[in-house]
Amino acid sequence: MSVNAPRSVTELQAIVRDNERVHVVGNGSKTALHNAHDGAASAELSGMTGIIEYQPSEYTVTLRAGTPVRDLAAALSQQGQYLPCDPLMGASATIGGTVACNLAGSRRYRYGGVRDFILGAEVVDGLGRAFRVGGKVVKNAAGFDLSKFLVGSLGRYAIMTELTFKVFPDAPSFRSLRLDYGPLEEALRAVYFINQSAFELDALDLIPGARGWSLLARLAGYDETLPQRVERFSSAMARETAPLDIEELADSGSLWNPLADLAGGCLVKVALSPKQIPAFEAALAGARRRYSVGGNVAWVATDEVDALDAALQKLALTGLCLRGAVKSAVIGEPIDNVLAQRVKQVLDPYNKFM
Amino acid sequence: MNRAFFAALESIYPPQRLLTRDVELLPYESDALTAFSAKPGAVVLPVNEAEIVDTVRLCHDHAVPFVARGSGTSLSGGSLPIPEGLTIGLNRLNRIKKLDPQQRIAVVEPGVINLSISEAAQPYGLYYAPDPSSQSICTIGGNIAFNSGGAHCLKYGMTSNHVLGMKVVLADGTVTKFGSESVEGVGIGPDLIGLFVGSEGLFGIALEITVRLMPQPEVYRTVLAAYDDLGRAGDAVSMVVASGLLPGAMEIMDRLAIEAAEASVKAGYPDAEALLIVELEGESIQVNTEFERLQGIIQQSGAFELRVAESEAERTRIWKGRKGAFSAVGRLSPDYIVQDGVVPRSRLGEALLAINALKVKYGLEVANVFHAGDGNLHPLILYDGRAVGALEKAEALAGEILALCINLGGSITGEHGVGMEKRDYLPAMFSEEEIDIMQALRRSIDPREIANRGKMFPGGEAPALKLQGLHPLEKAGVISRE
Ligand SMILES: Cc1cc2nc3c(=O)[nH]c(=O)nc-3n(C[C@H](O)[C@H](O)[C@H](O)COP(=O)(O)OP(=O)(O)OC[C@H]3O[C@@H](n4cnc5c(N)ncnc54)[C@H](O)[C@@H]3O)c2cc1C
Repeated sequence: MSVNAPRSVTELQAIVRDNERVHVVGNGSKTALHNAHDGAASAELSGMTGIIEYQPSEYTVTLRAGTPVRDLAAALSQQGQYLPCDPLMGASATIGGTVACNLAGSRRYRYGGVRDFILGAEVVDGLGRAFRVGGKVVKNAAGFDLSKFLVGSLGRYAIMTELTFKVFPDAPSFRSLRLDYGPLEEALRAVYFINQSAFELDALDLIPGARGWSLLARLAGYDETLPQRVERFSSAMARETAPLDIEELADSGSLWNPLADLAGGCLVKVALSPKQIPAFEAALAGARRRYSVGGNVAWVATDEVDALDAALQKLALTGLCLRGAVKSAVIGEPIDNVLAQRVKQVLDPYNKFM
Repeated sequence: MNRAFFAALESIYPPQRLLTRDVELLPYESDALTAFSAKPGAVVLPVNEAEIVDTVRLCHDHAVPFVARGSGTSLSGGSLPIPEGLTIGLNRLNRIKKLDPQQRIAVVEPGVINLSISEAAQPYGLYYAPDPSSQSICTIGGNIAFNSGGAHCLKYGMTSNHVLGMKVVLADGTVTKFGSESVEGVGIGPDLIGLFVGSEGLFGIALEITVRLMPQPEVYRTVLAAYDDLGRAGDAVSMVVASGLLPGAMEIMDRLAIEAAEASVKAGYPDAEALLIVELEGESIQVNTEFERLQGIIQQSGAFELRVAESEAERTRIWKGRKGAFSAVGRLSPDYIVQDGVVPRSRLGEALLAINALKVKYGLEVANVFHAGDGNLHPLILYDGRAVGALEKAEALAGEILALCINLGGSITGEHGVGMEKRDYLPAMFSEEEIDIMQALRRSIDPREIANRGKMFPGGEAPALKLQGLHPLEKAGVISRE
């Protein structure tokens, strides 16, 4: 296997043209995605980094795909802004990998996911063509929107070299609460109550504990009004959802990193809806897990991927393995779709990206 | 349309849902881009999914072009019939199949009217966020085709951002599903929803759509600011953005639009060169604090009058003028063209000055109404279609506005789509190779190019809005302008 670190789009195009199989690596942080690609030339985008254009007043940022997510977050926060889909900030995660795998953290709850904030991209496809998809302004309805298609595309259709996102002003302050419930059903009932209330949470996660289930809730806003809002939220929750306990926690990045307690084993993302959680729980048999984004994303750490695979298949759910030794990064219900196949025929007819 | 095809249609549809007589076809000959009309070969009115799928398969087998039609409110000629093609009217598929307030989702048929979703969700404190001004008549299917937006899309996005799942029939008759009831939508694997939404009816027909609902904000705080200069209103928008506030909506209207709105809905707007509407929404405690900041900013921005909506009735009145602006301007003039270009927000002032200069150059009136928060302009170019050469002049002016938007780094369309109207401008935005790739994509899904043939891509055989003189099909009497 040859390893290449192109410094430019032209070099990348040459790699694609000159090799029968090409496998893209951002920084290699999602190890499970790189297991099954022996024999392919690998193209490491870690050399294609940097912010190209950032205009805070436009709410847009354009950057190279190999840029570490941390660098982007730092640049945005200097201007009081953030990328609301909340890319997971592993030490070496790149923005290209974030898009390819469609990975978002808990704060995705407030305004939306990667698909909701991507505006456009420059790509190199399987024929070595370099071209632009989408736009650079916050609104654009011209042409087919292939930029959204890239979200979750796992590098199988085209290699992203440059990306444009919409960004938002970030809140100056945060407060976090833990609300404890007994059985899962009660915690879910609290989620449904929040779903139909006008409380605007910055994040909402659901975590299993030794004695029951807890909700982690975060409010964002101004220092001067947050205490009042926290008070209002807590009393409404106490009144309507009867938690066993409500405790304010010290707000911190690690509290809101859904993967913080999931080190070790295979790490799997599953997209599901809150009402699927009980059946999923029954099939999971105790793997370590956290439900993020109001119960719409499950993060699971397990040593028994095959069992998880079978459980997912039974429920017609799909999982994406991000870490660990697996045959295929996608487990559970297969993701083949006829519309995706048609796109594949156009962008990568020779299966260079597999 | 050959006999065999027609006979097959007759086996699917009873006569009252298979329209062929001139008087029956008349209502389907145009959409809201009324400068053009074309006579379809027939119109069918399916009442269920199976009929749609059978019809599309039939069209594919017989290579008969078709256009799906919701309410026909497209402003870009998207639902203009294909001469001698089939128009598939979807209004009868108007059921909300499921509404799950706990998970905040609804599953709807494509002919459901945008506003009816919000009406159904209202008792649960929820609503469907994308709010095109046409929301009381346009359908979700049409919204999907154009990724439609509205005044309140700054914060929560356009149609695409609110669709979680879809079942579609592709143009070659293949039925497929993607997405889910999770807010993640597709979640794992390429985001096919993002690809399908905005494809202008060229990939096929959406049969069933899962949308996400949002909780109704606890409060709205709306302010109307009057300026004696349009540029100053534009600057105020930049000041709001720079302050770190994230309003739900920021809209500007210029003098002509104000006067028109005033004359038609009597919104009680002040006499001004420009009006800015800014609306904050959310939890009351948070919004009240934000609103104080907002008022401070607006005061500094040189507004000569500032009105705060003190009641829901006042808020409704402020919006009524804005939402009715298109139709109101329509009353000022026998005909008008609505443009939909986008410019980077920081270049709004520049764009407006340039449009003013174009007005003078062409001797035509242009009213400006726009989604200032995202740089989406809606210049309404007024002309009298009965005057010789007036339409051509208006179109030339429209063309210059589009070129301007591209030169300023923006787009030819923010939400109305390319359709028929702007298809000749697509090459100004995308390279030949990029257009080739889009066309290849289209053919991979629709090898016979039957779905909405003649739209979005330059050339083709459907009637095109030509910049000069009559279109050949007009000369041949196939299409006509009203
Ligand atoms: C007064 C007025 C105000 C407007 N304001 C706005 C606005 O604020 N924002 C905005 O974005 N637009 C606006 N529009 C434009 C228009 O209302 C939108 O484009 C709307 O989405 C069209 O919906 P429709 O049901 O009328 O679709 P139609 O005009 O019937 O069809 C539009 C396109 O959708 C395709 N289509 C229809 N149904 C389906 C389906 N099920 N599957 C696939 N394709 C389908 C058609 O083939 C066609 O290409 C306005 C129009 C008017 C007349």
